[in-house]
Amino acid sequence: MSDIWKRFPGVVANAGANLSVSRGSIHAVLGENGAGKSTLMNVLAGVYRPDEGEVRVEGVAHRFRTPADALAAGIGMVHQEFRLVPSFTVAENVVLGAAARILRRQAIEDEVADLAEQFGLATRPDRPVWQLSMGERQRVEILKALWRDAHILILDEPTAVLTPAEADELGVVLRAMADAGRSVIFISHKLHEVTGFCDEATVLRGGRTVAASVRVADTDAGELASLMVGSSPMTTERPPAHPAGPPLLEVSGLSALGDRGLPALQSVDLTVRSGEIVGIAGVAGNGQRELCQVVAGLRSATAGTVHLAGDDLTGASPRKLFQAGLGYIPEDRLGVGLAPRLSVVDNSILRTYEAHRRGPFIVAERAEAHCVDLVERFGVRTGPLDDPMAGLSGGNLQRLLVGRELSGRPRVVVAAQPTRGLDVQGVKAIQDLLVEARDEGAAVLLVSEDLDELLTLADRLVVMHDGEIVGEFDPTTAARSEIGEAMIGHGAGVGS
Amino acid sequence: MSRPVLVRREQALRGGQPLSFAIGLVVALTIGIVLLLGAGHDPVAIYERMFVAALGDPDSWSVTLNRAVPLGLAGLAVAVAGSMGLWNIGAEGQILAGAMMAAGVARIGEGWPGPVLVTAILVGGVVGGSLWALGPAVARSQIGVNEILTTLMLNEVALRLVQWLIHGPWKDPDSFNFPLAPMIPDHGRLPTLFGRAHVGVIVALVVIALFAVAVNRTAWGFELRVAGSSGATARYAGISLERKTATVLVMAGGVAGLAGGIELAGTADRLTEGISNGFGYAGIIVAALALMRPSGVAAVAVLFGAVQIGGQSIQTMGVSSSVSTILQALILFGAIGAGVLSRYQVRMVPGDPGDPGGDGVQVGEAT
Repeated sequence: MSDIWKRFPGVVANAGANLSVSRGSIHAVLGENGAGKSTLMNVLAGVYRPDEGEVRVEGVAHRFRTPADALAAGIGMVHQEFRLVPSFTVAENVVLGAAARILRRQAIEDEVADLAEQFGLATRPDRPVWQLSMGERQRVEILKALWRDAHILILDEPTAVLTPAEADELGVVLRAMADAGRSVIFISHKLHEVTGFCDEATVLRGGRTVAASVRVADTDAGELASLMVGSSPMTTERPPAHPAGPPLLEVSGLSALGDRGLPALQSVDLTVRSGEIVGIAGVAGNGQRELCQVVAGLRSATAGTVHLAGDDLTGASPRKLFQAGLGYIPEDRLGVGLAPRLSVVDNSILRTYEAHRRGPFIVAERAEAHCVDLVERFGVRTGPLDDPMAGLSGGNLQRLLVGRELSGRPRVVVAAQPTRGLDVQGVKAIQDLLVEARDEGAAVLLVSEDLDELLTLADRLVVMHDGEIVGEFDPTTAARSEIGEAMIGHGAGVGS
Repeated sequence: MSRPVLVRREQALRGGQPLSFAIGLVVALTIGIVLLLGAGHDPVAIYERMFVAALGDPDSWSVTLNRAVPLGLAGLAVAVAGSMGLWNIGAEGQILAGAMMAAGVARIGEGWPGPVLVTAILVGGVVGGSLWALGPAVARSQIGVNEILTTLMLNEVALRLVQWLIHGPWKDPDSFNFPLAPMIPDHGRLPTLFGRAHVGVIVALVVIALFAVAVNRTAWGFELRVAGSSGATARYAGISLERKTATVLVMAGGVAGLAGGIELAGTADRLTEGISNGFGYAGIIVAALALMRPSGVAAVAVLFGAVQIGGQSIQTMGVSSSVSTILQALILFGAIGAGVLSRYQVRMVPGDPGDPGGDGVQVGEAT
């Protein structure tokens, strides 16, 4: 794949990405969230059409219009969300859409069993899929691709749903496939797996290829990590440091469960003082999201406490926390932070509508005045204020959300991925607002996957891995490679 | 090869809903001409009759308005729940439950003075409908049981209950063995306004207006709309979903139950099996055409009522009831179809018709 460009409204997902995979190898594609990995793979698998660029398979240029075209050229993809029919058996799922018109149950079960055996994929072809574990379901997806004779197999974050033992098994299966002359493209951001069973790695950042086909044997996890998070010179001037005041947010011994009911947060201790920004770095899915949610009252803690300006507010409702001075900028803007179908005015009073009441009514003039104030102060570009929020661009949505959370001068601000997906101007505007809040004395907890952003804005930087805080760094002196090591769980404790 | 796909407009066309209803009407009437000619009727005469019967003079207006009352209240019962993202498919059963409770009140209160009895009958309707929705409301809010299924299934239960009452304990001894409940006392009937229009028209209008204002202007309605947008957003805004879900479903039931009470005291005069006549299901269509906005329900209900009354009237001209039903369906299809086009536009994209890929489905996020 060379010089692939793919633009979506407001976002450039691939900006000249390259990828070259050799036959019989396991090739890792690495990058942070939003680096363009999934888009590039969807281009290769025929799901998206590239705006520019060329895809060649064994020397022949292709223009895939559908996943079926890509499959015909031997490219199969296993998506993160499985596409299986739960009530069908393994064999039925494998041959679905690619079998003779008349299904002879026993015959296809035998054929599927043979195929599975060939690559060491333990499976039971006569079992309905709903009875299977996630690991087994994934093997069915792989079998589907193999059944369709895919010579290039794309696995999109295959280990995200697997237990460590299952992930190791997958590694063995992939090796068997590579040895049989097929190519495997392995998308991940778990570096130990990449170094564990991949031959080559390509690293994407900001939609571009920053390292192409690096031999894994010649590198190590630390180097790959620093390639992923980038080492570009700081784009923004570091805002002047501010003397930190008394602690406003104190988290101690905090544990919580994740969405799947497994421990996601383990005994986290963290203090954020007035006038400082504490950055949380970490690979996505290491407890940052859960930490923010517990602090904001949207997830319950299984142990530990959260104190806001000295008051114990563990388990308080989101409204009570907001009234106690907690501004929360959630990661999921449209699904949590805003109500996209409601008007701009409605969204601007989402947290404070009770204050705009007279009797049972919301005073329209007051609500609108508040909205106009936010729009003007935070430079939100909008159409008519009665139009649905969803009509605003990503940057303007976020300006309104951040403005709403900051307009009441909160004592503590929790910002989760506040600049993700925004354009350069939007990023700058949001960052400035956070710094301004800090300078006015707020304690800011900033979670970001952009290490540059954290190094620029944070006064202190902590790294989370596997639900724990594994290191603390001084952003002015810390080496990226050290932070990168800590992010993958190889850190050596406090590094400042 | 190119093929058409529906692409969501960035913004629904302004004034799109009334306009689309009109377009749908024209398209449907045009198709109807073919249908009527095929069946050997004179389309002009038929259409004229439909119009006159539904909207031609004050008397026809009064009949249409009476019909619009249960349609509008049922539509409101669906739309109020729909504003919160809940599907109340049980308006039919709630209407029947309201009618039963109202009929029970009418039996007890035979000796009460007129205004008291009428009020009591209507309140009985509200209470009956609310009680009927209470089970689904509690099940949904406390343990997350899907309200679509519970409300739908209770419709059947309500119908059986009505049948049991009118075949059994409440059967009118003077009904020559027909399964009918006795007539309610004369002084329990709704006073008339003009023609055949009864006070229920005003009651319904006031209730719809109250809910429209409540949903659009009050803090209660704000919470409702936020919860309808996303449950996670509602929690973030500090709204307790459990209580809200329960109260909204019970209120919706009460609104539908009121329709049952009004039907009993306004048009049916006795409890019958057919007292709801599918109003609860029609209410789903009314709410959908009103885009789940309580404020739009009244206008849609009047139009819907006119279509029904007009459609029924031509049966006396020898048009078979099937043709009349098809005409009604065409008009509704046309309006709904045109409504879709006010929110989506058709674009031609390259690709084979059977091809699942292509730009039409490329609406996912970019990473």
